[in-house]
Amino acid sequence: MAAPVASPKLLFNDIDEPGLCTREVYERRGGYDSLRAALALTPEAVLDQLKASGLRGRGGAGFAMGTKVSFLPKGAMDKYLVCNADESEPGTFKDRELMQKNPHLLIEGLIIASYAAGANRSFIYIRGEYVLQADALDAALVEARNAGYVGEDILGSGHSLSLVVHRGAGAYICGEETGLLDSLEGKRGNPRLKPPFPANQGLYQGPTLINNVETLSTVPTIIRMGGAEYAKLGVETSTGTKLVSVSGHVQRPGNYEIELGIPSREIIYGLAGGPPAGRQVKCWFPGGSSSPVLKAEDLDVPYDFDSLGKAGSMLGSGAIIVVDDSTAILDVAMKTAKFYRHESCGKCTPCREGTNWTVKMLERIDVGEATPMDLEIMASVQEHIIGNCLCVLGDAMAMPIGSMIAKFKDEFEAHIERARLSRGVGDAAGSDLALAAQGTLDAGPETLLASDPSGDQAPGEHAGDPGTHQGGA
Amino acid sequence: MPRPEPRTITFTIDGQEVQAPENTMLVDAAKHGDVEIPVFCYEPKLGGPVGACRMCLVEIEGIPKLQTGCSTPVKDGMVVYTQTERVKTAQQSVVEFLLINHPLDCPVCDKGGECPLQDITFGWGGGISRFIEPKRHFVKPLELSPLIAIDRERCILCYRCVRFSQEISEDYQLVLLERGAHSYVSTFDGHPYVAPFSGNIIELCPVGALTSRPYRFRARPWDIEGSGSVCTLCPAQCNVTVTVRDERALRVLARQNDEVDDGWLCDKGRFAYQSFHAEERITEPLLRDGGQLRPVTWERALSEAAAGLARAGEASAAIAGGQTTNEEGHLLARLMREALRSPHIDSRRAGSLPLELHRALGNPALQATVGDLEFADAVLVLATDPVNDAPILDLRLRKGVRRHGTQLALAMPGETSLDPAAKLSLRFAPGQGGAFAVALAEALKDGDPDLDRLAGIAGTQTSKLRSLTELLKPARTEEDQRPREVVILFGERLTSGPDGAAAATALLQIAARLGMADVDGAGLLEIPAATNGRGLSEAGVLPNAGPGLSDSALPGGRDARAIAEGLAAGELSAVYLLGSDPLRELPDAELWGRALAGASTVVAHASFLTETIREHADVVFPAEVYAEKEGTVVHPDGRLQRLRPAIARAGGNEGVRAGWQVLSELALRLGLDFDVLSGAMASKRLFEAVPFYAGLTLEEIGGRGVRWQERDAASHFPTGASVADKAPALAAPADPAQAREVAGFRSVWDAVEVEHSPALEFLYPHRETVSG
Amino acid sequence: MSPRGWDTPVDLEREPATIPDPDTTPVPADLRVEIEAHMANYPDRRSAALPALAAAQRVHGWCSPDAIEQTACVMRVTPAYLESVASFYDMLETSPVGRHSVYVCTNISCSLRGADELYEAVLKAAEGGIDGEPINVRAFECLGACDIAPMASVDGVYVGPLSTADVPQLLEDIRSGSPVLPELQLARRLVADPHANSQEFPRHPAEHTARAGAANPDIAPEEASFGAPMEGDRPGPTAAYEPTPEHHEEDES
Repeated sequence: MAAPVASPKLLFNDIDEPGLCTREVYERRGGYDSLRAALALTPEAVLDQLKASGLRGRGGAGFAMGTKVSFLPKGAMDKYLVCNADESEPGTFKDRELMQKNPHLLIEGLIIASYAAGANRSFIYIRGEYVLQADALDAALVEARNAGYVGEDILGSGHSLSLVVHRGAGAYICGEETGLLDSLEGKRGNPRLKPPFPANQGLYQGPTLINNVETLSTVPTIIRMGGAEYAKLGVETSTGTKLVSVSGHVQRPGNYEIELGIPSREIIYGLAGGPPAGRQVKCWFPGGSSSPVLKAEDLDVPYDFDSLGKAGSMLGSGAIIVVDDSTAILDVAMKTAKFYRHESCGKCTPCREGTNWTVKMLERIDVGEATPMDLEIMASVQEHIIGNCLCVLGDAMAMPIGSMIAKFKDEFEAHIERARLSRGVGDAAGSDLALAAQGTLDAGPETLLASDPSGDQAPGEHAGDPGTHQGGA
Repeated sequence: MPRPEPRTITFTIDGQEVQAPENTMLVDAAKHGDVEIPVFCYEPKLGGPVGACRMCLVEIEGIPKLQTGCSTPVKDGMVVYTQTERVKTAQQSVVEFLLINHPLDCPVCDKGGECPLQDITFGWGGGISRFIEPKRHFVKPLELSPLIAIDRERCILCYRCVRFSQEISEDYQLVLLERGAHSYVSTFDGHPYVAPFSGNIIELCPVGALTSRPYRFRARPWDIEGSGSVCTLCPAQCNVTVTVRDERALRVLARQNDEVDDGWLCDKGRFAYQSFHAEERITEPLLRDGGQLRPVTWERALSEAAAGLARAGEASAAIAGGQTTNEEGHLLARLMREALRSPHIDSRRAGSLPLELHRALGNPALQATVGDLEFADAVLVLATDPVNDAPILDLRLRKGVRRHGTQLALAMPGETSLDPAAKLSLRFAPGQGGAFAVALAEALKDGDPDLDRLAGIAGTQTSKLRSLTELLKPARTEEDQRPREVVILFGERLTSGPDGAAAATALLQIAARLGMADVDGAGLLEIPAATNGRGLSEAGVLPNAGPGLSDSALPGGRDARAIAEGLAAGELSAVYLLGSDPLRELPDAELWGRALAGASTVVAHASFLTETIREHADVVFPAEVYAEKEGTVVHPDGRLQRLRPAIARAGGNEGVRAGWQVLSELALRLGLDFDVLSGAMASKRLFEAVPFYAGLTLEEIGGRGVRWQERDAASHFPTGASVADKAPALAAPADPAQAREVAGFRSVWDAVEVEHSPALEFLYPHRETVSG
Repeated sequence: MSPRGWDTPVDLEREPATIPDPDTTPVPADLRVEIEAHMANYPDRRSAALPALAAAQRVHGWCSPDAIEQTACVMRVTPAYLESVASFYDMLETSPVGRHSVYVCTNISCSLRGADELYEAVLKAAEGGIDGEPINVRAFECLGACDIAPMASVDGVYVGPLSTADVPQLLEDIRSGSPVLPELQLARRLVADPHANSQEFPRHPAEHTARAGAANPDIAPEEASFGAPMEGDRPGPTAAYEPTPEHHEEDES
């Protein structure tokens, strides 16, 4: 077993120091020095540092931050900077720790980024569930404003910036950048068509830069170290340190700051302690629940953007969920599919219907009303979702579900068989529905309609979903 | 505002090279090569694409993922595939996904046979479904409004209806509730979806989820045929297709003409077809006999009418109503002037302008089009409330603001529904539109105008007038030297009444001071009170003008009000009401009551027994409704449009006859032969009589209409008054009540056709008289 | 739970729901002030929809038709616009609920550690409500606190890791109005990374954040604080993981 690795701590350094969330302590530790240094440079020079750092976005897509900034059109116009603090990807909780304990770091990074991008209005879109963190940000924002870091003519630089902490209200899709923009405009959080990309037409149709909390929180460090120095950390295409949220079947779940490129095993076993005694890793999500699952044999894949991509998955938001061998893969698939069904915005067809259908098939497998053929259909449905949706939410279900079917086909088949037996259906008999599925497909769905006219779950009720339940009378 | 002028590019689709306008979306560009890419959510009328349904996925060389054809602008050299396995699989899967929750109740679905989902399933679907779970089931259909039923099982969540409500009519009453697979279309808390344009969502729905309650189960697509015409129920003159079954109009659909209506209809235009077949329709000639109107033969009715008019001779008068065609108006004018030697004929609601001013306002160089409303840099809506005067223009104004950044200014006595879309809203005192126009003209003048005093008379604020001036004529900046396109949309009431001439002069001054005549896309657009107000003026149905606004051969013509006064005073003795209902439509009903009571002969051409007819008509000719008519009308922007009969005239052989025919037969009895034996001949006579229509044919007008200003013959339009620099004198403060009444108006929603359409019964409480 | 909307026709006798008339739509003064303050934060007033609805929900207990109409009246939008928004977001309630809410996270990481059992336990324990008032117990999607799985958000305060044995105390704390399971509040938890802190720090005391807010008159104390400062020990961040033996046993293959 690998020993825990002590990566440089750029974001988590003394994160638990009492009062770090106050300007007093933050500044005592050198806070806002980077802002002063940045404002002494030209915006172009700041941007050059960001580019030199090689920093890739920490929200999930991993796009080079400096390049993203440079996409914004030049010239005098209202430009927007939006911090995506809607951390909702299951398994991800790194931004939460940063915002709660070191909100000034984010604010400082955001101001520097706005200076580089020429943005004069900014918003932090934080998920509504993060009450503690939003309160911390609001308090820090008041301090920053009173200190002249936010507002008109910041520290005499001529750069002005307004900043509003905007609280969401519970919708995963608002973490998708264009869904976030619609939500911030006061609408349903439906993703938009791209193009146009937010850099050209984003918030209020204006040029908009959108960055994740961790990305922006890294900016002051880059200014302090210099972009080139920062780029020496990590590996060539994945520079710097990364916060990783480890959860599920590990002994020490939590956030860890690692240098990109270390073996995944060091994170899961070395830092997080691995599964409880006697258990083995069955599969793991390397980058949140939307990343295709990997198995135990993949534990030595270096934890960086490109290596995980080559292994057939992705680094995503840096959230590792470990599932040990006590858990049935069907249960993992069901949780995953139900989550995405619940969170699908409903705008595009393959996602809305595909997530719904996938859950229904999984439920049939669970109750013994499926045949191995349903597994093929389910796999094909995932293929029909991937790449065909308006945004990535559909793919976010289809990729992990597809990977589970591919990697745990035998277990699914065994489950189908066992469930059918326990339902009293011999392997020769087959359930009515399953027989219908095999025999009369050409007849079209209506002929196969089950006799129950009331249909599936009651409308408006998230049956089978996590839904609303009222305690009391 | 610069309008798109796309260049033609060449791209390749499914192996063939096709030319198409650059940057049109692939689904449209493909049509140039006869390739159809299926769509559900894509509807360019609704604005930019949303890419929701994913039906239009295509493969483009050089792009790894399939792309939505609805949102990909075509570029030169692009290579597109719509028939590869990958594309077919994606299309089949989208159909399969959509059918998961769509009931297969096509046999009992009103949309069956004209359903895009059916067609696309047949054309692009896989033919099988692997979804064996039970479908969702809901109570259906449910009422969404008095006009619309909703079947939520059938909804495929294409977003079209809610986009209409939110981004086109901007009433924002229809929304999606909940999320994901639970999403559904609804209103707030059980309120009905009642809005002036609500019926459009029926036509937008690509499945049978939204159906017309009056049309439900009336016919199958194979029972019906569509007949193109023009709705003459208001001056907007939207193009329509009448759905006909067994000679009955069962439905009215939009017939998209971007120059007129953008493919939208108001609910009146969509549902008032019910009045065509109302029990209360007059379908046979009537004659007053012993105080009662009784059916008689045409022969008898015509003879009695001719005799009555002949007796009155020069003391006859005629009023043409709003839906009168150009041809009918032209023949009526000849009947009056040539057969009866009477100059007393009018089609305007509240008084004529001096002919010189009329001509000056009609100057082809000053005429704005409907399209100009959309692309103008600024539009001033003056003394008109489009939603009540010409509803569909309300949508066009909103479109300009929303999509092209047009700056909208409103000047009205009270609040209007357009206020939220306007950059600037001004008020003036009721009846003082003319004074407002004079004040605005002064505000636009260089120097130090006498503004405070004029603003005071108009009942508006000087500061607001200055803001308006700045909006209409901002200081030129270095970078923007493009001439500013300004359109003024005004109501006929502005140039009516005591201050009408002053207002007209002021409008001409404003036009001159904004340089409108020299700027393409700038100009004036008048909404007449009558549907065909413009055409009737041009056909010579004015007391002071002959055909083509020529000098009238007979001087001394009385306008409508003077006709009433003449009848009441016994100076005139007969009146011909061609589709006109003075008690209902013209100012001063009390005067008209006395006038009609005093007339010895009242000949009326009418569709419904209204009070005017019931109480006062001596001879009644049953009149056609527009779906029965042939002829032409002129849109407010000068577009001649053609009516074609969609249904047979009501009443059979002894029933309704064509207007031109009745007028011809009447003229014959009065010794005048029009030599008109068909509707087409009537049109020919009209085109011959109006110099600036010269050479027009019905074929040229066709299904889309022709703006006469865009033809060479427009040069024959008579030159009008030159514009004075001095502020026109306002009439001595007249009786304010009268000024208000002249300027007040009945909404187009308050109409006999609405009253006789059961589906629109719910509108009765909403009728309002708007003060102008 | 009765289905909402899908199966209900409109009431044809009612007027269409246009932008509410201020003369006939009374709005509590505090609510109006708060909504207007939110609107002033954005270039487009509609951006205030979520904070405005959240404010109306605090006043009315849920996004009731009255709450929506009042918000629409102040924001000058149609009630349908806001209903559409409200029904999209999980935290905005479009049916009546109890004043207190317990969101039990039942997403993957939490359910791997017993969240489903926890949810059932909370649901059962809360059945009778508290003093006759129902509690809004919801199985919630990932709340972003998988490090304290299984966990719950009690009126916005994160607590975990929870066991079914914690449930009675959790409900008792809600009832009595005292801080919920202080020892298990996320606010007090140190970062898991053993090398993050260069020195020994006391467990993260919430009071520091609270003090930062209190120092600023712009922020009302109740907005800035999120639970009383806590003293004493609690399980460390690396508390031993106890697998739940009953979990998934029958599924082992």
